[in-house]
Order: sequence, then structure tokens, then C-alpha cells
Amino acid sequence: MIIFAFILVGLVLVILQTTIFMIHPLWDFSPDLYYILVAYLAYRLDLFRSLIILFPLSCLLDVFSGTILGMYSVLCYSGYGLLRFASTRLPVSESLYQVPLIGVSYLAVSWVIYVMMSFFEPDTLVEWSWWKTILRTVLLVICAFPLFRIFEAMNKRLQRGILPWNKLRIKSDNRFRH
Amino acid sequence: MRKQSSRARNTRFRLFRLIVFSGVILTLGFIFLVSTVGSQKFGSLHKLVLESAGPVQEFVASGLRHFDTFREEYLDVLSVREENKRLWKELQESRALLHKSREAMATNTRLKKLLNFREASNLPMITATVIGKDPSMWFRSIIIDRGTNDGVVKGSPVTNGEGIVGQVFTVAPNYSKVLLAIAPSSAIDVLLQKSRVRGILKGTGALTYQLDYVLKNVEVEEGDRVVTAGYGGVFPTGLPVGVVTKVIRKRRGNFHEIEVTPSVDYRTLEYLFVLQKREQVGH
Repeated sequence: MIIFAFILVGLVLVILQTTIFMIHPLWDFSPDLYYILVAYLAYRLDLFRSLIILFPLSCLLDVFSGTILGMYSVLCYSGYGLLRFASTRLPVSESLYQVPLIGVSYLAVSWVIYVMMSFFEPDTLVEWSWWKTILRTVLLVICAFPLFRIFEAMNKRLQRGILPWNKLRIKSDNRFRH
Repeated sequence: MRKQSSRARNTRFRLFRLIVFSGVILTLGFIFLVSTVGSQKFGSLHKLVLESAGPVQEFVASGLRHFDTFREEYLDVLSVREENKRLWKELQESRALLHKSREAMATNTRLKKLLNFREASNLPMITATVIGKDPSMWFRSIIIDRGTNDGVVKGSPVTNGEGIVGQVFTVAPNYSKVLLAIAPSSAIDVLLQKSRVRGILKGTGALTYQLDYVLKNVEVEEGDRVVTAGYGGVFPTGLPVGVVTKVIRKRRGNFHEIEVTPSVDYRTLEYLFVLQKREQVGH
């Protein structure tokens, strides 16, 4: 259920990003919302479920964006790997670095992927712009706070189960048994 | 005894005075009445009465007027809240209506332009709507709501009323991805309309094109129109592409460095035409 729900969330985020947040094809101020989901998966969900969720998400992004298939898969999985590694290895309290790390990893992964792509597929990418990328990173960090809260609430709700089965269960009279 | 007799005399005197006074008044009144009824003249007495009563009447009337005004204003204040609410609602409705009509006018203009283009060109074409834009900073593509089921094939040219927009890059049964002509990976064979010199138009990722492979010995001027060349059979000949806005003549190299401003406004893409080949339509 969690897998299905987060795949759905990914779909909604990508659709929002390609419609409402992209006012015209050259609009630069659209936050990469999908990356917040990638970060959330890295911080909160187990590896197996995260990888399953990331697969349709990256596939969807490859369909909706760009001319190089598989680029978003590399981006999503690299970002996920980096964040997961950082979250397990960093000794500081997670709330301190959680959101800034999303921005830092986004910037790093984007730059590395851009360099790789411009090496393998020269003359297909729009020129790199630091200020635009940093601006997008800032937007991403701003959007990360509310979206993380939503994902957290959703995750908790899903872990409890949508239907209150425990309330429907017939209880015995023995109050001392658990 | 004497006191009693003097008191009675006083009373009689007072009564006498009253009778005389009343008699005088009545006589005067009678004379006045008779003279008035007889002559029907607005005399000095009438004028005097009017002049004396006028100010009083004026005072009372103005007081009444003020009272009326006050009452009306008070009632207005009571009803102004409701009126205000109603007017606000009306204003909102009018604004919404104005916005709708402006939007309708803009859509009408756009559609008229498209219709004119469609009627003017004798090429078979499919109308499409932009449903999504590339969210990445590195690519320039859009998604349209037409696919193979509608006759769209990979490589089909995409235009709008103003000129070339791009080329279909990938197709699905009902949707397609269009690579915009401003994308760095896009390259179109074009001609300078005046000199008929050929060149390759490349996207820059921004709102300009770069025109390559135009030899230095060719005279190119700012304002020259650029149209599709039609080589290779992908784009039909003569579709507007843009206007030359900058020509850089470098000492080194064999070619001009030319900047072209697109004839299409990429920020307002909404309705597009996917051009079909004649043999494709014939099927």
C-alpha cells in the first residue's frame, strides 16, 4: 500500500511540475518536486520499497522531460544513494542536516550528471547556469519543509492502515492478557 | 364694606374694558373682513402678517427638512451595509465577467490567427494542444495531445500561426513529445529569404536561434527573414522561422555568426499544428 501510494504521489508531483509550475517552456523558477520525494525515500523508507518507488518515478520523468532516456533514472538513483549514505554515516542529529542536505545533494548530483551528459551527448543540453541551478535548489529547499510534513503524515497514516482493523477485532473479556 | 364695594367696582370696570376691547377688535376684524371680501386686495395687513409668520414658517420648514434629511441619512446608514455587500458582489461578478471576456477575446485572436494560417496554407495538418512542458533546465520540449492515432509520426514538423515551433520527437498512440526548435539538439535547414542562401538553424536553449554555415562572402543584414529550406523533405519550403537580429563578422573562420530571433513566441505556446505529408493523408 505504501509503495502504491508513494508512486501515486510521485506521479502527482511530476504532473504538477510539468503543468502548473511550468508557466512556459523556458520557465526557470519551477522547483524539482520529485527530488524531495527521492530525499524522503532515502531518509524514511527501506531500500527495497524505495527502489521500487523510484523506478516508475524516474521512468515517468524520462518520458516527460528531455531527449536522453535513462538520464532521470541515473539522477534519481544517484541522489537517493548519496542521501541514504549521508543519512546513515553523518554523526549529527538528522533534523539539523536533513533539509540542507537535500539542496546540497541536488546541486552536486545535477552538476555531475550534467558534466557526464555533456561528455557523452555533446551539443544536446542547454548551457549550464549556476545562478539558475542555485535558484532551483533554494526553491527545492523551501518546498522540502511542507512536503516532508505531508509525506510524514501520509506515511504514518499508511503504516497504521487506512481501515481501523484493530477496532473491528473482537476482544476477549480477559483484560490482563495482551 | 367699603372694601367690598371697591372690589365690585373694579370687576365691573375690568369687564367693561374687556367688552370695549373685544368690541374694537371685532369691529376692526369685521371691517377688515368686509373690506377684504369686497375688494379682494392683498393689503398691508396681509403683507405684515405674511412677513411676521414667514420666518416662523421658514424655520419650521427648514427644521422639517433637516429632520427628513437626517432620517433619510440614518436609514441610508442602516441600509448601506447591505448595499455595500451587494455592490461588492456585483463588482466581483463584473470583474470575473471582464476577465472571462478578455480571455475569450485573447483565445479568439489566437484561434483566428491559427485559422487564417490553416486556410492560407494548403498543407494537411492536425490541430494539437500543449498539455505539458519539460520541467528540466537542460532540455526544451513539450507534450501535445495528439499521437499516432491522429496521424502524427516521428519527425512531423510542428508550427503555429507565427512559424516553425519544432519537430515531433517521440510518439505514443494519443500523445507526442515535441522537440522545440530552440533546443540545442535541434537543427533545421533554412534559407535567407532575400538572398536564398542556405544555412543550418540551431537552437541555443534561450529565445534565440543561431544560424550556422552562412559564408562570409554572403551579404546578410539585420532584419532579413529566415524561412525553412525544405531540403530533406521534413519541413515544407517557405515556412517562417525568424528574423536576423545580429550579424557578427569575425576575422577568423569562413562563416558569419548570425543570431536569429524566432517568429514564434515560445512563452505563449498553446495551440499548434502538426503538419502531415500528402502521401500520409492519402492513405
